[in-house]
Amino acid sequence: MKVNVKQWHAVAQWRWDTGNAEPEDDGEGDVCGICRVPYEGCCPSCKMPGDDCPLIWGECTHVFHMHCLLKWIGTVASKQQCPMDRKPWVTAERKIGSTPS
Amino acid sequence: MATDAMKSQVAAKWQEAFQRLNGDSPGISGLMKFSEAWAISVQFLYPWDISSVPVDVDGRPYGEILYIGKDLEAARPAFNVVNRSKKLPALLETFLDDVRKNFYLVENEITQYMARYEEHQSTDEIRGLISRLVEWYRAWAPPPDLGAAVFQSYTLNFQTRLFSALPPSFTGGFKNLCATLLSPPSAEDAIVAVWRDFDILGLIERYETIIASVGYEYIEEYVLRTCTGEWGKPMLDDLRIWMSEKVVPWLLHVYARGATTPDEARTMLQGVGSRFDFHINKTLCDLRTREIFDVIIDYPDSMGALQDLRDCMQRVDQRADLVAALRKQNQKRLLNPGADTKLILQQYVSTIKCLRIVDPPGVLLFKVADPIRRYLRDRPDTIRSIVANLVGDDDDENGESLVDDVDAVPIQQHDFDDYSDPNWEPEPIDAGPEFRANKPSDVISTLVSIYDSKDLFVKELQVLLAQRLLMITKDGSDRVEKERKNIEILKIRFGESALQVCEVMLRDMTDSKRINTHVQAQKSSRLQPTIISRHFWPALESSDLVMPGQFHKLQEDYAHEFNVFKPDKKLKWLPHLGTVQLELELEDRKVQADVPPLEAAFIELFSDKPVWTLDELIVAVGSVNRSAAIKALSTWVDLGVLKEDPENTFNLLEKAEEGQSAAAAARERDTAKLVAPIADIPALSGTQLQQAEQMRVYWKFIEGMLTNLGGLPLDRIQTMLKFAPGYDKTIEQLASFLEAARREGHLVVRDGVWRLNPGHEA
Repeated sequence: MKVNVKQWHAVAQWRWDTGNAEPEDDGEGDVCGICRVPYEGCCPSCKMPGDDCPLIWGECTHVFHMHCLLKWIGTVASKQQCPMDRKPWVTAERKIGSTPS
Repeated sequence: MATDAMKSQVAAKWQEAFQRLNGDSPGISGLMKFSEAWAISVQFLYPWDISSVPVDVDGRPYGEILYIGKDLEAARPAFNVVNRSKKLPALLETFLDDVRKNFYLVENEITQYMARYEEHQSTDEIRGLISRLVEWYRAWAPPPDLGAAVFQSYTLNFQTRLFSALPPSFTGGFKNLCATLLSPPSAEDAIVAVWRDFDILGLIERYETIIASVGYEYIEEYVLRTCTGEWGKPMLDDLRIWMSEKVVPWLLHVYARGATTPDEARTMLQGVGSRFDFHINKTLCDLRTREIFDVIIDYPDSMGALQDLRDCMQRVDQRADLVAALRKQNQKRLLNPGADTKLILQQYVSTIKCLRIVDPPGVLLFKVADPIRRYLRDRPDTIRSIVANLVGDDDDENGESLVDDVDAVPIQQHDFDDYSDPNWEPEPIDAGPEFRANKPSDVISTLVSIYDSKDLFVKELQVLLAQRLLMITKDGSDRVEKERKNIEILKIRFGESALQVCEVMLRDMTDSKRINTHVQAQKSSRLQPTIISRHFWPALESSDLVMPGQFHKLQEDYAHEFNVFKPDKKLKWLPHLGTVQLELELEDRKVQADVPPLEAAFIELFSDKPVWTLDELIVAVGSVNRSAAIKALSTWVDLGVLKEDPENTFNLLEKAEEGQSAAAAARERDTAKLVAPIADIPALSGTQLQQAEQMRVYWKFIEGMLTNLGGLPLDRIQTMLKFAPGYDKTIEQLASFLEAARREGHLVVRDGVWRLNPGHEA
């Protein structure tokens, strides 16, 4: 017998490729360290997740919603530091394909 | 002994009396004359037996007038004499006494007539009796010469005797006679005569209530005959016209006799006319109250009946009756387990609309709606039904949508009285203490307000929308557009922010299409996924299904292309959702089928190896629910591709079996059956399951507090949980959750105090 797939309508979820090897799906997933909303959610000032509310990677390996971090950096109190480890914030290159797919 | 003074007194009296009778005549000639006149008068007035003598139309005997001394010309001087002597009262007394003595004659005749009536039940007998009684009355009546006072005393006396002589059965007969006069076959003159006779005998005053009841019964009969089940148009005006044509002429005889001009008649009729009009209103109102449940079912075809009811209610205070009747009917016919929730909702909506017509302030509605709302709140599928209606889920079914208001307004949570409102009006008088004047809001608001918060609706709405979106298979952009339109309408009602999630879901649909177009352009694939944003879709049941063989390859390839297109994202498949369109090439036939992924996974496995046991299959696709697996396999068995032999071992049928192929062919024609498997609702967990999921989050809190504080009563746990972020459960929900935890052995409860189960720690 031969099985021909004519069309397959499937369902998938998208995830941010944060570079962290994600433990198999459970719970809420990783959250942004500033707004405590999951990465796949959106920051408090956005309504649409995904490309409209992207992530930003730091050299320090911390990941935030871009809007959250820019807002933080914009404040005087931030002293241009990463809110997690107080190291000066340096935006890293996106870690494309860092996870084995 | 008599003193002189007394003697003289008696003498004076005697003299005076003598003087009065004798007058100025000499000797006792005056006395003689009076005596003669008295005799003539008494003789003239004597109530004689009219059956023995022929009489003329005025009840005067003719023929042997002189013989019985009934010559008025002869009697008149005698009357004058008696009158002059001031003996008229005495004469009257004698006359009335004679009437009393001779009244047996009348009584005898009454008995005869009534006996005949009782035998035949014919109103003609009553009519005859009345004419005869009039003859008696006229024959015995004193002449007008004696003055009105005498005549009146006679009339009163005659009537009193007559009424006491009439037997009880006369009342019924009289009533029947009146009724025949209402719908008369006889000529107008005859009717006038009858009523005149009634009047003469004083029957109208005496039997006024009976006459009125005849009218009332006539009205009732007519209303019931013409209006029962006639709900299409308002009947009240027709009834009024009918009344002025049929009943008013009759009323004229009864209540406006003696009226000379139409104006006079109108004033005389005013009081009684409004009484009869009231009766029409009341009868109609009673009728509609009895019919109200069916009237509501028929809405909007029953507008007429509702308008009638509204108009009647203004005259007749039957609001409480209407409420009681409708509540009782609802209880009996609607609020029982046999009724479909959708049906109840439909009837509720109709009730809302109907009672708004009858009573715009909404007091009736409030009273009637309360039990329905309470009942609906207890039904598990109410929210689902309402939401399904909101999104027009059933527009392909026959049922009309509950929601046909075009102008959507935001859902009003009940607002309070605005005391600065210059148009403020007090609540209607029969409004109860709990009455909340819900301003004429739309139906949806009313439905949503069955529950305390609209969050439940929004959640259910999301689940429903998710189901519908995931059902869209091929190019479904217009269906997505339709959903978008729905959501836009609902946004107006529920507010923008509440439906934000739905907005994201819709955007996922369009994005998926865009991404898919791009990916297909790079490298064509038969896989066409819907890519959704997690956290924004209702919790999708997780599954450990692993797609085998070529399906896995398709997934990998697609995920790779996606990754090229969106380098910072990756895909996580939800393999148990969606549908697959397959064509199986078997040795002797081809089978086409649209199946869920699990079915596809199984059949893919069979392309490697023709015989599998159930357990092998389950392991090969990851681990799936056993019953789901059996169901999936039975789909193929039904299609004649697999055969179960022996139990739990499945064989691929490369060649169709005899009979099997016929059955399969038969099924092939029956396309509905073929697509049946995917018609199943996608595996989404409903709100109840979601709530349980959410509750699991709080389990950690509960566990912590019970560890630290030992035992706690339910309300303490609830109070403390309220400090937890986002905790919005009611104490009942918490109780049922704790109960579930107890059943699983995590908790123990004693005297209302919850503790961790020490034995369960391991």
